[in-house]
Amino acid sequence: MKKVHLGMLLLLLLFVSIGSGCIGGQQTVTVTQTQTQVQTQTQTKTETKIQEKIFIRFAGWSAGETEMKNYEKIISEFEEKYPNIKVKYEVIPQMFHENILASFGAGVAPDVFYVDSSWAPIFIEKGALHPISEFASKDFINQFYPFLLKPFEKNGKLYGLPKDWSMLALFYNKKLFEKAGLTKPPETWDELLEYAKIITEKTGVPGLAIYLGGFNRYVPVAVSNGAPRPWFEKPEDASWFDNPIVKETLKWYIDLYRIGHVQMVKEGKKPYVVQPSDVGAGWLGDAFGQQKVAMVISGNWMIPFLADQFPNFKYGEDWDIAPLPAGKAGRVTMAYTVILGINSKSKHVKEAWEFVKFVVGPEGQKELVVKAGHTLPSINGFENDPDLWPQHKKTLSFIPMYNDLIVFLWGSKSGILENKFSDAMASAMRGEITVDEAIEIMKQVVKEELGG
Amino acid sequence: MHFSFSSIYEKTKTKELIAGLALVSVAVLLNMVFGYFAMAFAFYLSFFKWDYIGSMKFVGLSNYKIVFEDIIRGIHGAPYLLSPFYTGLKNILIYTAIVVPIQTFLAIVLAAFANQKIKGQQFFKVSYFLPATTSSVIVALIFVWLFMRNGFINYILTHLIPGFQPIDWLNNRNYLLLAIAMVAIWGTSGHFMVSFLAAMQAIPKEIYEAAMLDGAGPIKRFFYITIPMLKPMITYVVVMGLIGALQMFDLAWVMAGANGGPGGAGYTVALDIYNEAFTRIRPGVAAAKSWVLFAIIFTTTYIFQRKYGRAVR
Repeated sequence: MKKVHLGMLLLLLLFVSIGSGCIGGQQTVTVTQTQTQVQTQTQTKTETKIQEKIFIRFAGWSAGETEMKNYEKIISEFEEKYPNIKVKYEVIPQMFHENILASFGAGVAPDVFYVDSSWAPIFIEKGALHPISEFASKDFINQFYPFLLKPFEKNGKLYGLPKDWSMLALFYNKKLFEKAGLTKPPETWDELLEYAKIITEKTGVPGLAIYLGGFNRYVPVAVSNGAPRPWFEKPEDASWFDNPIVKETLKWYIDLYRIGHVQMVKEGKKPYVVQPSDVGAGWLGDAFGQQKVAMVISGNWMIPFLADQFPNFKYGEDWDIAPLPAGKAGRVTMAYTVILGINSKSKHVKEAWEFVKFVVGPEGQKELVVKAGHTLPSINGFENDPDLWPQHKKTLSFIPMYNDLIVFLWGSKSGILENKFSDAMASAMRGEITVDEAIEIMKQVVKEELGG
Repeated sequence: MHFSFSSIYEKTKTKELIAGLALVSVAVLLNMVFGYFAMAFAFYLSFFKWDYIGSMKFVGLSNYKIVFEDIIRGIHGAPYLLSPFYTGLKNILIYTAIVVPIQTFLAIVLAAFANQKIKGQQFFKVSYFLPATTSSVIVALIFVWLFMRNGFINYILTHLIPGFQPIDWLNNRNYLLLAIAMVAIWGTSGHFMVSFLAAMQAIPKEIYEAAMLDGAGPIKRFFYITIPMLKPMITYVVVMGLIGALQMFDLAWVMAGANGGPGGAGYTVALDIYNEAFTRIRPGVAAAKSWVLFAIIFTTTYIFQRKYGRAVR
């Protein structure tokens, strides 16, 4: 045994001596390198002083390559107009808000960053966002749809302006509808389910694709059937789940997959409801574009994706958009919006505002939203713009049909609650727990997250 | 005035000491900052409530209370969503119990084969070790594809075993953890094989020669000479394997997803710590959980070392 140790020791010594030789040789080199680095750094510092150039960091997630390219374009236009401000564009593809929060913890948060309505309260409450109402004029703010501003208001102050917005609508495959002998989109939730079954039976293609979980996709079903809007601010608000309409509609929504897929597969029948991965697709837009399902409920972000990825699958000829089906109390849809928030700890708040004003203002929205066709413009008056894509125009035309338009926000901890609710719902959809168990878990989550 | 590092260095009497300290200082410094400071800060953090933006609020032991309540709730049979730490702990203990013995055994067997003078042994050594050089995320992604319902693994099994029904490995709560364990075993045995191979080659040839003269066959030699002589290396491999398995994150993250997949079957403690810190935004609770995990790993490995590591000296 001793021999082994001795051998290993010798080997170790050999490595150390070789290693030290290398490091010893490199030491002088590295010293000179750092010196030159210091020199160049001081040089750039003096340069920036002379030109008074200001750098701001702008972080967003990406809805695809085209969006990134468009943002790069608008940034270069901004830099041309404001030669003293440089914008560094940073794309965080996953867990965006979690990343931003962590960067606050580390003290390196960007100057301007996206904030989704569901995450806004956390950022506003903690004073992470600079109030935009300090800079923006009344006229500028009044251009925006007022209901989109609500999630970002607190104590009479406004903390951000939405860069754009989207709302849920029903996307349906016209060719598959024809094959199944259906002439028009479903009008009610029950009809939606019925249509899904008919299409599957007649064409062999699953009728409807949904996500497992997705509390925000279920809310319009509940509210359109007469449930109050969900709002969780204190532990007692868990009682929302005791509402009989909430229970009934939740069971309906969960059964879409639990019966429409899990049970069907078990019985060896063809499922009429699928999730994207069941048909080998990454997300709803992908499943719909590949024509592997006949209907999906999704937002406007799906439109440029379809145009880009599936150019032969044409709007109007092959697929169309309809308003969300109605419940017993009318039609309800969900709206999603994102602001460009300004970091309250930023050293260049004024310059950051110039940038935000440029991007979310009429000029920026015309380029980024209307012409590029990503989503819906958050500024009034683009409804009849000739550049507005017809698909988006059509979704906008549904607004008068809706009794209620809910912005994605259920209280101060929406983002966290949404995650936890969705986990419970997904579990019930897979048939691991009952609907009642899922409701108990969701109530417990509300109590724990909002208590203390 | 002439001042230079080398002149001072030349004059000192304790040249070797200075050289030694200088050499280890980089490693020690890095370890201090990213190892011990991070640990100490996590310990400090575990007594505070924080959400990254605002100021930290001292809450005493309440973060630990959350962790223990979670465990107690899990023992009483709460659904996995309400006792995530317990679920992660349960899964990771099962996983460790599967992975560590098998990977150690496989590594010894592979090393024994690689240690023979067989034609092409170099090829086998390289191919066994190859998984260890590949990023675990890439490995996991490849296996996600292999484990699909219509994937390669089901294809092989249906052809090997008559009447075998394809398993949806990753979407079935009964098989998900097993699938992850299989990938881990595949990925680490080769790495540990190299450790065993080094230890085997250090065993003096005279012992084998003496045993051969006494008439011991190859199997007897393996069990009566090789295995006992490998004992310190076995201890090392098991301890490293325990630590690695109990901290498993990457494979579960890719193969099961952040929420642990169906029924939370692929949920691990490390995933829970991550979710606590970044999705539930409770870094204090995450820190408390990581200290509980540390305590578990520390005691397990300590007990193991005490029991088996000592006999060597």
